[in-house]
Amino acid sequence: MIDLAEAFRNYKEKIVDRWVEYTLSTYQSSGFFIKERDIFANPVGGNVREALNKLLPLLIKGAETQEMIPSLEQILKIRSVQEFSPSQAIAPLNAVKHITREIFQADKERQHLVAELYDFEFATDLAVLAAFDIYMQCRERLYLTRILEIKSGTHILTDSKCPSAMLKDDNKKRTIPTVESI
Amino acid sequence: MAVPKLEQLSKSVVQGPSLATGAIPTRDWMDIPTVFKEGNYAYVAKKDKVEYLDSQKGLHFPNAREWSPEDEDWKLPENWKEIIINGLKERLDKFRSLKIFMDCCVRCGACADKCHFFLGTGDPKNMPVMRAELLRSVYRNDFTLAGKILGRMAGAREMTVGVLKEWFMYSYQCTECRRCSVFCPYGIDTAEVTMMLRELLHLVGIGINWILEPVSNSNRTGNHMGLQPHTFKDNVDFLADDIENLTGVKITPSFNRKGAEILFITPSADVFAEPGLYTAMGYLILFEAIGLDYTWSTYASEGGNFGLFTNNETMKKLNAKMYAEAKRLGVKYILGGECGHMWRVLHQYMDTMNGPADFLEQPVSPITGTVFSNAASTKMVHISEFTADLIKHGKLKFDKSRNSHVKATFHDSCNPARAMGLIDEPRYILDHVVDWVEMPENTIREQTFCCGSGTGLNTDEIMELRMRSGLPRANAVKYVHEKHDVNMLSCVCAIDRATLTSLMNYWNPSVGVCGVTELVGNALILEGETRGELDEGLRTML
Repeated sequence: MIDLAEAFRNYKEKIVDRWVEYTLSTYQSSGFFIKERDIFANPVGGNVREALNKLLPLLIKGAETQEMIPSLEQILKIRSVQEFSPSQAIAPLNAVKHITREIFQADKERQHLVAELYDFEFATDLAVLAAFDIYMQCRERLYLTRILEIKSGTHILTDSKCPSAMLKDDNKKRTIPTVESI
Repeated sequence: MAVPKLEQLSKSVVQGPSLATGAIPTRDWMDIPTVFKEGNYAYVAKKDKVEYLDSQKGLHFPNAREWSPEDEDWKLPENWKEIIINGLKERLDKFRSLKIFMDCCVRCGACADKCHFFLGTGDPKNMPVMRAELLRSVYRNDFTLAGKILGRMAGAREMTVGVLKEWFMYSYQCTECRRCSVFCPYGIDTAEVTMMLRELLHLVGIGINWILEPVSNSNRTGNHMGLQPHTFKDNVDFLADDIENLTGVKITPSFNRKGAEILFITPSADVFAEPGLYTAMGYLILFEAIGLDYTWSTYASEGGNFGLFTNNETMKKLNAKMYAEAKRLGVKYILGGECGHMWRVLHQYMDTMNGPADFLEQPVSPITGTVFSNAASTKMVHISEFTADLIKHGKLKFDKSRNSHVKATFHDSCNPARAMGLIDEPRYILDHVVDWVEMPENTIREQTFCCGSGTGLNTDEIMELRMRSGLPRANAVKYVHEKHDVNMLSCVCAIDRATLTSLMNYWNPSVGVCGVTELVGNALILEGETRGELDEGLRTML
């Protein structure tokens, strides 16, 4: 009887490859992002590949969320400043559940293991929840960076309006959107 | 149990609100419209700034108005299309390089993946070849036989409002850093294509405030900030006071002094904003140490030339100001501080605009006697060349341990590295004053990655875009930070000092940013000084 650990050992690389490919397919120029392996020539692709490679073993062993944070941050720090909605930024993390099921399902000897994926999928759920926290921390860091820049004095190069002007009632387009209007 | 399929997951996310990413394009690039929304464009120039500039001698900024990129109607002048096509014709006739760049690209794709905007966004229109294609398609349509006959089949398209909007979006998602041109087998300078796009847009009153306001300030008072002479002087004097507090040496810089041997010009940001202030303190300490006969100017009080980011007439006028002041003061030559694009203007455009500066003398170091024959025409020497020469001749005494709180790396600022070949001098200086390491090979020297916010894109309303475009640089810094505990990113550009600070605040918060001359100032031993232990060098608060 083939056990789950063996199945993961066998398919680890295939799962990561498909996971990386899926994550990078969310970019318009996914071909280059997938192909180029030099992390300095291709920071988006390189960081996603590095982070997911580290993350998968953690999900398999059901690691503490704390252990997953560096890998999650490596991906979300990038995706939270790109043109994704929050769910789009995070959704590719979820994909590993479906990728793993599909891969196991396609292997007759390992099909039965799909029923044993509960712990792995639970670990993925925890990673996704942590990812929401990290996404928000990144956004807050972005706003803090903006505030620090304004305070630093370089901003007074122009007398452009203060960002709080976005909140004025008479300028409805720049009002902070309510949940319904998102 | 129903298992949600992978396809459903991707369907649910790609159908979300993202426009620039998240979907595999199913339409030809010409058919994908540009969408402006808060955060993806820089605020447009204020009407009064455009009017002021247009009223100035030698400058042309017509069609000032109130408008917003988010509005459907950009309130263009009625004959806007004629203005653009005529403007393009005029430039094709005037600039032979533009004509060649329009004709000789074979679309080999060597540049495609070299742009930091492309690498950070994945947007195909940020491939340099595509950015140029935005203009080239219109050129083909109106100026080539193939385009006139075959139209779209020959990659030609008519100039429309949609095309104009696309020009505005993507010519302001290029920092004119010229990394792409390093890889082009034909040497096409895509930055010059961006420059032409911006020039054409200005003809119909389209420009951004973060560029035009500093330009109008520079035209009026001599610097981006609009600082008046007394304020500029006060700021430098404050820095001299700080130096006295830290080192016990009193420095009394001179201003607008006729008969000084050298005029020193640096970006005004060095005089008023952190962390540039410490670099300016470094200049003051260095000049004091060698007893240089030099003067600051409160009129030529800006090295930066945002004219480069608007049109050639404005670039020419702002560059001319430095030379007019050198002539008025009767100096022998100009010493230039750590600036980026000032040096590009000097090395690539000055000679055919305002040069050669025959009324000045070929620069010679008064301390070492070195003749700077490379500056024979411009008569302007870079502070790093000047300092490296002093070190080479043993004219400076350093205590490197004063920089022991720093583990540095060096960011080659795009313009000094690629436009003037200033690559080894700053490294030579760093070798003598600080412990430092290089970033990976494909991110330095000629291949350096831009800070992501040059050419007047250093404005906070597009912070996300700046963080994306700065990712390739930040990614390399992260590597040396993690591997070698690097805590300081040094550079020789004032825009870098401002923009890299924000970039690091987001991507690598424990890495600071400094000018090379700040590190020189930290380590330099001044005669008669009473400098104690300064934990953070010139940044130490007493």
